[in-house]
Amino acid sequence: MNILKTLGIIITSLLLISCNKNEKNEIAIVDPAEIYIKGTIDAELTSPPFVPAPVGNRVAKKLLVNMEIIEKEGTMSDGVTYVYWTFGGSVPGSFIRTRIGDVVEFTLSNHPDNKLPHNIDLHAVTGPGGGAESSFVAPGQQKTFSFKTLNPGLYVYHCATAPVGMHIANGMYGLILVEPEGGLPPVDKEYYIMQGDFYTKGANGERGLQAFDMNKAIKEDADYVVFNGKVGALTGDNAITANVGETVRLFVGNGGPNLTSSFHVIGEIFDNVHIEGGSTISKNIQTTSIPAGGAAIVDFKVDVPGTFILVDHAIFRAFNKGALGMLKVSGKENKTLYSGVKQEGIYHPEGSTIQTMPDENGKKTAEVKVVEKSLTQKMKDGKQVYMNTCFACHQSEGQGIEGAFPPLAKSDYLNADVKRSIGIVLNGKTGEITVNGKKYNSVMTKQTLTEVEVADVMTYIYNSWGNNKTNVTVDLVKQVKNKN
Amino acid sequence: MKTIVRLAVTMLFLNSIIANCQPKMVKIKGGTYIPLYGTNNQKVTIDNFYIDVYPVTNQEFLEFVKKHPEWKRSKALKLFVDDNYLNDWKSDTILNTNQNLQSPITSISWFAAKNYCEAQNKRLPTVDEWEYVAMSNENMPDARTLKNYNEFILSWYEKPKTNIQTIGSTFQNYWKVYDMHGLVWEWTSDFNAVLISGESRKDVDKDNDLFCGSAAVNATDLMNYAAFMRYAIRGSLKAKYTMKNLGFRCVKD
Amino acid sequence: MKCEGEKIYADEGSCPICKMDLQPIEEEVKNFSLEEITETSIFNLTSKWNTEEGEEITLKKLKGKTLVMVMIYTTCKAACPRLVADMRNIEVKIPAEFKNEVQYIMVSIDPKNDTPKRLKEFAIENLMDDEKWTFLQGTEDGVREFANVLAVKYKKISPLDFSHSNIISVFNPQGDLVHQQEGLGVDNKITIEKIIETVKK
Repeated sequence: MNILKTLGIIITSLLLISCNKNEKNEIAIVDPAEIYIKGTIDAELTSPPFVPAPVGNRVAKKLLVNMEIIEKEGTMSDGVTYVYWTFGGSVPGSFIRTRIGDVVEFTLSNHPDNKLPHNIDLHAVTGPGGGAESSFVAPGQQKTFSFKTLNPGLYVYHCATAPVGMHIANGMYGLILVEPEGGLPPVDKEYYIMQGDFYTKGANGERGLQAFDMNKAIKEDADYVVFNGKVGALTGDNAITANVGETVRLFVGNGGPNLTSSFHVIGEIFDNVHIEGGSTISKNIQTTSIPAGGAAIVDFKVDVPGTFILVDHAIFRAFNKGALGMLKVSGKENKTLYSGVKQEGIYHPEGSTIQTMPDENGKKTAEVKVVEKSLTQKMKDGKQVYMNTCFACHQSEGQGIEGAFPPLAKSDYLNADVKRSIGIVLNGKTGEITVNGKKYNSVMTKQTLTEVEVADVMTYIYNSWGNNKTNVTVDLVKQVKNKN
Repeated sequence: MKTIVRLAVTMLFLNSIIANCQPKMVKIKGGTYIPLYGTNNQKVTIDNFYIDVYPVTNQEFLEFVKKHPEWKRSKALKLFVDDNYLNDWKSDTILNTNQNLQSPITSISWFAAKNYCEAQNKRLPTVDEWEYVAMSNENMPDARTLKNYNEFILSWYEKPKTNIQTIGSTFQNYWKVYDMHGLVWEWTSDFNAVLISGESRKDVDKDNDLFCGSAAVNATDLMNYAAFMRYAIRGSLKAKYTMKNLGFRCVKD
Repeated sequence: MKCEGEKIYADEGSCPICKMDLQPIEEEVKNFSLEEITETSIFNLTSKWNTEEGEEITLKKLKGKTLVMVMIYTTCKAACPRLVADMRNIEVKIPAEFKNEVQYIMVSIDPKNDTPKRLKEFAIENLMDDEKWTFLQGTEDGVREFANVLAVKYKKISPLDFSHSNIISVFNPQGDLVHQQEGLGVDNKITIEKIIETVKK
């Protein structure tokens, strides 16, 4: 009924146009299936967060895509490893960039060391199974098939070998972009981000090689919800960057397997969103919903410098499961657009360590005689504790955040008194302190760390970033603890 | 713990050296069961048969190749093997330095495995026979519903390079057979009876158009992911393929 | 140099007209069985088969013509009649001058029931009882191996029913696989082109 109405309206408006215009309309609607291809090129494939060069004005071509499937161990979070199954060695898999009318000749190779057969279902394919049937490939073999891109948009691809859920949960997904004739409007910076949920035998943060947990996956009870395959893939040194005044376009996908993403950039509004990666453009959007197996193209202009946080706004996922990334914008401040800090309240950024009283059941450490670890070992373990617990405030190089969190690098306050510093970690600290000549008045909560972990992390801090190289022993930590 | 395992392995190793002349087989008492890919929940009846206790080793296959030069890497017909056949060996009759004589032979095709078994007056097991033996754990003939049985199998998929372990390094099952899980995939005589197209979502359809039998493929227990992957790997194979993680063992009536 | 065209003499000596010595010529009989077969040739299989005429052969017997092969079974009611029709449609479209260079082979995946007698009946029913068509019954083992060479999958569902992939394969006269067409009632244009191309070689 509705359709009929719209049709009616369209027809009348068409009539109006043709009445008003005497000359014929020059723009012919081309059937994408009829687009002529000229020449052959190798597709440029990129690992996240980067994307290949835009197609611009190039004509449709035959595009050769060679993708290798690799099953390999990688890092999920500090101290936590996981066996990922990948397209091209990364999670998400390599970004494929095409234009409408291209004929993509796709070769899928399964590395001989792999244990399992795999295939690929590209949502950009019009054909049975999205290519899944034609690409089913055993380890040590390769398969080639081709397809023509008929619809512009941003599409998910994923493995579709049984059990599909497990193959996706292990990281087998990525994005393929089909640009319209003439390409997308040019922007200054483009990045590739894909959310995924992971299910591990151990709880979030539990160390060691974690196995996939089918039961949790079925219950949709994710231990990690992350961008680009791991916690911290887009933070610190891995943050994406832009300069003030530039336009940024993000190709955002969601591999799932289960959870919908509420994609949001803290402190920015999306100027344009290609809803669900299709052709409808919504303007001025705060948060866009990206279903599992779906995507969106968002772009926005960055007007002020600073660190903009990318999150899944289902917010516990961001602060407790890893769905957090950073866009660092550098350049001149613009006080009329954003005033800067007026410190009034107290802000507790949450590290991934849950800040509670120690769990009596979980941490019942029997009185074991602690054997002091080697300095190298302590540095290694200490760094892991630091990245899990301290990094959010004191930053990756101990530089802190001016006006909010004091630095630990070359810190006079820290180097002056080891026991005081240990005490702060054990018991927290409130009130004003002066560090390297600058005043800080903030709150540090009491950290739930074991004595060994405190010794490790303090040793790591003292032996990094130009500090005084104190080796903090477990005994020293015990001393400070028992004094209080 | 680790030392005990190691001890056990060394003892086994000694055993296999002693029993080298004739690899041990055990009797499997037949029975009826519903395999994962049962056809309309049809039970499958297995007759009594004998099965090799261990997968065929590098050493055993090396001896076979020496006796049957037509299966040497340089001689084997391209109709029967792909280019990766025995590609880790140093030469036609010499293993590589990192290869253990007591590790399972891999990188062999179905044709090579079939011929090996026939040369011993044995044959390859059928999918149903193999699955029947494989559904047991240490002390039950059918442990398929047990969580830890399936978890063990699933964890193997995530362990790299298990093919270089030696035979006997996994558990001994109810039938006194070793290494059905945790070492390598194994060829079966009728692996190509698994009609998985790789399009798993279609595979659960009953497509009359595609297959004569109406019930082509439908898992009786889709939750049994551990077994599901074995069928997926069988479905992805062709008989001339050779794989680093694929070996075999023989059976006898 | 030929002064008398294609004339051949049975005895050695010289030409009675131009007095030149006669050269012995190689017998140019098309005898493929003397030629080496390649490593990938299907004629490397040594399995034994019975034809619908009750003759026991090995596959090598089929050497010398372009072969079009399909695996079916005679009690099949769903896909096989269509596969048989597909084979017939291919045969019809081969130009007359090549017709004698092509042999159509139907291999049964049900060797238990498809005896030579049954295959002969099936051939007559389907009007495929002339020289061009050959029906083969093998052993269980031989059929499984043959299917594996063609990458055909099949499974017994019930005593009279099988699931199987629908693949028509083309082999050149030396037994090398040159083309496979998968599916039922698919466009056979490429298959026919391949057959003609193979015959012409």
